[in-house]
Amino acid sequence: MNIALHVPCYINELNPEIARKTLLILRHFGLNVSVPKEQTCCGQPFINSGYKTSLPNRFEEIFKDFDYIVSPSSSCVSTVRAQNLSVSNKTFELCEFLHDIVQIKAIAKNYPKTIVLHNSCHSLRHLLEGMPSELNIPYFNKVKAVLGSNIKEADRDECCGFGGIFSLKEGFISYVMGRNKLDDLKNKGDVITGVDYSCLFHLKSIAEKDGDNIEIKHISEILYESLER
Amino acid sequence: MKHYELAVKFYKQQGPRHDKALWSIRQKRDKAIKEVPEWERLRQQASEIKDYVIENLQQLINKFIANAKKEGIEVIFAKDANEHNKTVLKYLKDINAKKVVKSKSMLTEECGLNEFLKKKGIEVIDTDLGERIVQLRGEKPSHIVLPAIHTTKEDVAEILGETNTNPTYLTRKMRELLRKEFLSANAGISGANFLVADKGWAVVCTNEGNADLGALLPPLHIISVGIEKIIPNMEDLGVFLRMLARNATGQKITTYTSILGKKTNGKRIIILVDNGRFERLNSKFKETLKCIRCSACLTTCPVFRRSGGHAYRYIIPGPIGSLLAPLSDKEEYADLPFACTLCASCETVCPVKIPFSKQLIKMREYVTKENLAFKLMETSLHSPNAFKIFSIILRLTPKLLLKKAVKEWSKYKALPEIPKSRFIQ
Repeated sequence: MNIALHVPCYINELNPEIARKTLLILRHFGLNVSVPKEQTCCGQPFINSGYKTSLPNRFEEIFKDFDYIVSPSSSCVSTVRAQNLSVSNKTFELCEFLHDIVQIKAIAKNYPKTIVLHNSCHSLRHLLEGMPSELNIPYFNKVKAVLGSNIKEADRDECCGFGGIFSLKEGFISYVMGRNKLDDLKNKGDVITGVDYSCLFHLKSIAEKDGDNIEIKHISEILYESLER
Repeated sequence: MKHYELAVKFYKQQGPRHDKALWSIRQKRDKAIKEVPEWERLRQQASEIKDYVIENLQQLINKFIANAKKEGIEVIFAKDANEHNKTVLKYLKDINAKKVVKSKSMLTEECGLNEFLKKKGIEVIDTDLGERIVQLRGEKPSHIVLPAIHTTKEDVAEILGETNTNPTYLTRKMRELLRKEFLSANAGISGANFLVADKGWAVVCTNEGNADLGALLPPLHIISVGIEKIIPNMEDLGVFLRMLARNATGQKITTYTSILGKKTNGKRIIILVDNGRFERLNSKFKETLKCIRCSACLTTCPVFRRSGGHAYRYIIPGPIGSLLAPLSDKEEYADLPFACTLCASCETVCPVKIPFSKQLIKMREYVTKENLAFKLMETSLHSPNAFKIFSIILRLTPKLLLKKAVKEWSKYKALPEIPKSRFIQ
């Protein structure tokens, strides 16, 4: 089984540790993972801003010979899936891959802190990694299952207000949504996590500006720490 | 002013009130749909019926017109807003009407009927409680099912000149005032939620019975309705009636659901309005024609709940409005498809499965002009080396300049720290 690690461009720039830890998690399970060096961006920022781009085709070209492509970002995976490429159905978000393909659960069950999971919209509604509250289907949550039991969630499973280009065009509403999300999450546990670092750095930026004392970590960091213990 | 500016104004004035009110309606809706075990199957069925309707629209229109005639209802086709308004005027003039009672119809809002008739000296009284409130306030509805959701009970007391702010008292007061209007009006105008093609009937759903009074009391009843409201038959109606009120407000069914055929105490006419719909049918936005105006996408939208409907400036706000408004004026409403985080709550709540995320991205493409900076960036991302240069520039740019470059961000949030090294060097 040949697996490629997709390194989202914003993670490569803003938090390269997430890419490193994702790689180490996959290798921990004895998987054969390589990191194609020529990868850049899947095209999401352009598509969502209304620009035409051939970057998804470049993504396809780079990753087409792998059995699976694993990415620590559900918004990138959603973009690749929505483009109907030959690689669309073999591209997975990290937790989705661990749950569906590697079939491993409860990695963080002995984590010493109470984990609060922020279900990002791309994970919940675009990739259906869990049950969004709008649907009448039985409850499930793959990300939570990979983490373990006693994982807290927000009261409202609504958007945190990042939205990529949205956060640059509608700063105020983006802030209010993020503020509301932080208030919903922060008293439920010790550390806030999620599969999308984009949501998380938006929440971090608000916490920093408003002076909230709260730990926010990408899920790969929590999974990695748990495997290390 | 654009959406992002009006949103700030609205939120600073309202605080979390509007968001909380609409979220509680979303929760009522969730509870109501969870009482229907086959809900997701109904959504699939409703979506397929609507797909069939938009693929066979002309044929269904012909069928509806033929059957309505058999039933004894006159049907007139209007190609645009102007033709619609003139047709309404002609029928009102025929009976020398001075006053019209109108129940909620987004189509008459779309056509600007109230203003048009006012200019011609005909008084139009909106009779839906919420619509009457916004009419008296000199505003437009801010939500398609809850037109006055942006107002408070104090606002309502004020426009009625009352000091008592008890909602039941105010509602009764309004009913008293409206009853006089119903009894003295020369004609009633309403919309329709559905037109049943193989019967020639119109179906009107309200909670206040105001459409029924307007349809039954005056000697003339005009129904203004968009062509996409046609459905094939009564079995299909069953599917939609089970979904409409549940999805809109969490009720099992609207208090009044009237199936209107021939008017026995006068005349009923139906004006079928195109106003750009056939053109939309042949565009990449045809899926918007599936909409049954349940309003759930507005209520659930996290941006709408905080910005209010007026920030959209179009008669239909929220996610569905952001798809419709730019089709009526591309320049004016170019900001609306971006007043959205692509969270997909709208498409997940939609009873006819309009693929909102895909449509909104197409709409962003439709309103966006070529931009050199983006083009340059896109080109550079095709080469890992050029990408590296961008990354070096990013690290060399002073923080102050970066802050300026993303000023809507830095007004409210800190800038993330950029680490020295990358993972893929």
